[in-house]
Amino acid sequence: MHHNKNNPYRPVEAEVIEVIAETPTIKTIRFKPKEPIGFKTGQFVEITIPGVGEAPFTPSSKPHVTEYMEISVMKVGKVTEKIHELKKGDIIGVRGPFGTGYPLDDFKGKEVLVVGGGCGFAPIRSLMYSLFERSSEFKQLFFRGGCKTPKELVYKDETKEWAKREDLNLKLTVDKGEKGWKGNVGLVTTILDGLGMDYKESIAVVCGPPIMMKFATLKLLDLGFKESNIYLSMEKNMSCGIGKCGHCRIGTYYACKDGPVFTYDKIKAFANIWD
Amino acid sequence: MDFISNSNLTKLLNSLKRDYKVYVPVKKGEQRFYKRYIDPSDDIVIGEVRPFEPLKAFFMKARERVADGFKPDVPGADAKPFAIVGVKACDLKGLKVQDHVFLDNDYNDPFYAKLREENLIIATDCTTAIDTCFCLALGVSPYPKENFDINLSQVDGGFIVETGSKKGEDVVNKNANIFQDARKELVSERDNLREQVSKQVQDNIKNNNVPNENAFEGIVKKNFQANIWEDEAKACVECGACNTVCPTCHCFLLYDQKDNDKMARLRIWDSCMIKDFARVAGGANPRPYLWERLRNRFDKKFDFFPKVAGFYACTGCGRCISACPGKIDIRKVLGKLVKNAS
Repeated sequence: MHHNKNNPYRPVEAEVIEVIAETPTIKTIRFKPKEPIGFKTGQFVEITIPGVGEAPFTPSSKPHVTEYMEISVMKVGKVTEKIHELKKGDIIGVRGPFGTGYPLDDFKGKEVLVVGGGCGFAPIRSLMYSLFERSSEFKQLFFRGGCKTPKELVYKDETKEWAKREDLNLKLTVDKGEKGWKGNVGLVTTILDGLGMDYKESIAVVCGPPIMMKFATLKLLDLGFKESNIYLSMEKNMSCGIGKCGHCRIGTYYACKDGPVFTYDKIKAFANIWD
Repeated sequence: MDFISNSNLTKLLNSLKRDYKVYVPVKKGEQRFYKRYIDPSDDIVIGEVRPFEPLKAFFMKARERVADGFKPDVPGADAKPFAIVGVKACDLKGLKVQDHVFLDNDYNDPFYAKLREENLIIATDCTTAIDTCFCLALGVSPYPKENFDINLSQVDGGFIVETGSKKGEDVVNKNANIFQDARKELVSERDNLREQVSKQVQDNIKNNNVPNENAFEGIVKKNFQANIWEDEAKACVECGACNTVCPTCHCFLLYDQKDNDKMARLRIWDSCMIKDFARVAGGANPRPYLWERLRNRFDKKFDFFPKVAGFYACTGCGRCISACPGKIDIRKVLGKLVKNAS
């Protein structure tokens, strides 16, 4: 439910409590909203930088934790540039959560493959926390992540811990290696074969830059995944968050209220979904 | 049915001023505009045709404050509501579309909902048609049938009065002494006038070869790859006037005032014809070409809305035809789409 039925456009005041530099271009901002805001993994929030504007982000922190929330942000526009300048103690605004999130109940008893790319890692970290928490409900978890270079890999220490988990089969790749990188080199689509999972009955979750989402989806279909089992986190121009302002329409849906997570079968017929 | 004389209507308007900001249509040259009603004046025209501005402006203002920093109170909550007089049937259909967006959904918009509840709509029959009118092609008659509080039909010496809501009935009951029973011959006069104006609109539709909405199903999807969009978009100058004057267009931009001390969030009408409308911060843009945005505008009105709401988001008011500096004519585009799809 929305925190503020009274006025859905009003941001809730929040204080920045920590800023973590993840990579040269990605920072994680931990903030504490003055009114508790929970979220379901896959839902997004609108972050206000006072006097600058508002932009949508999917929290990367643990969904059930209401004392604080985290977003991991890549510097790409005027709002994200200001977010990168934030310091401990700064005041920001937060609105939401919006959207439907990942339907984890539908994943029960199945093998789940999570494919993440670049800054698409952010929403996926919150998903991984949720999956780990209910780990026994799923058959097996797989994680395949990719980014451009080892330098740009987010959550380095955390993914090292994840690699040790028995309930998770994890592999990372980079488009271009560098000195000291012992992992795989190549696009994320090149490490999806031969996972030993029952592709036809499994769930796939994809989140990343549009071009990566497109090719990962095509690859998953090739491997035998059902269209209705491929969950895509669509990056659209979400603004109001409640299906009114019109900016994030995809065919007969609004990404903000009907998504931003859609299964491929729901949106494949619409024009320019990857742009 | 009731009747109100011209002089008694003035009394009614004067009495409404107490509870409402009253707006009436006035005529300037060949254009009609809504103007705040202060005193009776010669330029007031209750009938005729729709004014230049769409009715939506009274329910979602072109620019309004929707948040004051982090303060929990809703801005403008204590403002006096509007009584809008002389509203035409095309605009009432527009309101039906706006209702679907702002009320009839998972989330209520508190600003719209409040104005919808409190504003008073005194509609009226069109007493003429102008050459851009084609409401009947969209199943809208040039006289209101629904969505009004009170409707006035101009006849000799005054107006036939119909109420369409409890709010409208209350206004009539409160001012009972200025209403009379409508004489039978005045009711037939109204029916004749309605028929005459409908005939004018029918002639318009015929002369301009405007297809009927019965033929609209699937016209956008069937023409998705057609050249029609590129051809039509050649004359578009990306001004967004079609969106601004459209009674069904509802898209808006949330805009934060650049003032660190007084953070205010504004809501401003937006236009899907503008290049950056759907662009995301990362740079991806689903509709970089103007013709794609023109197609999207038709997709929203003639594919999205019938699928999600059950009606086309066009009222046949013809405002976009008059407003377009490139002379893009929605009637001709619809004609081409229907012809090319069959």
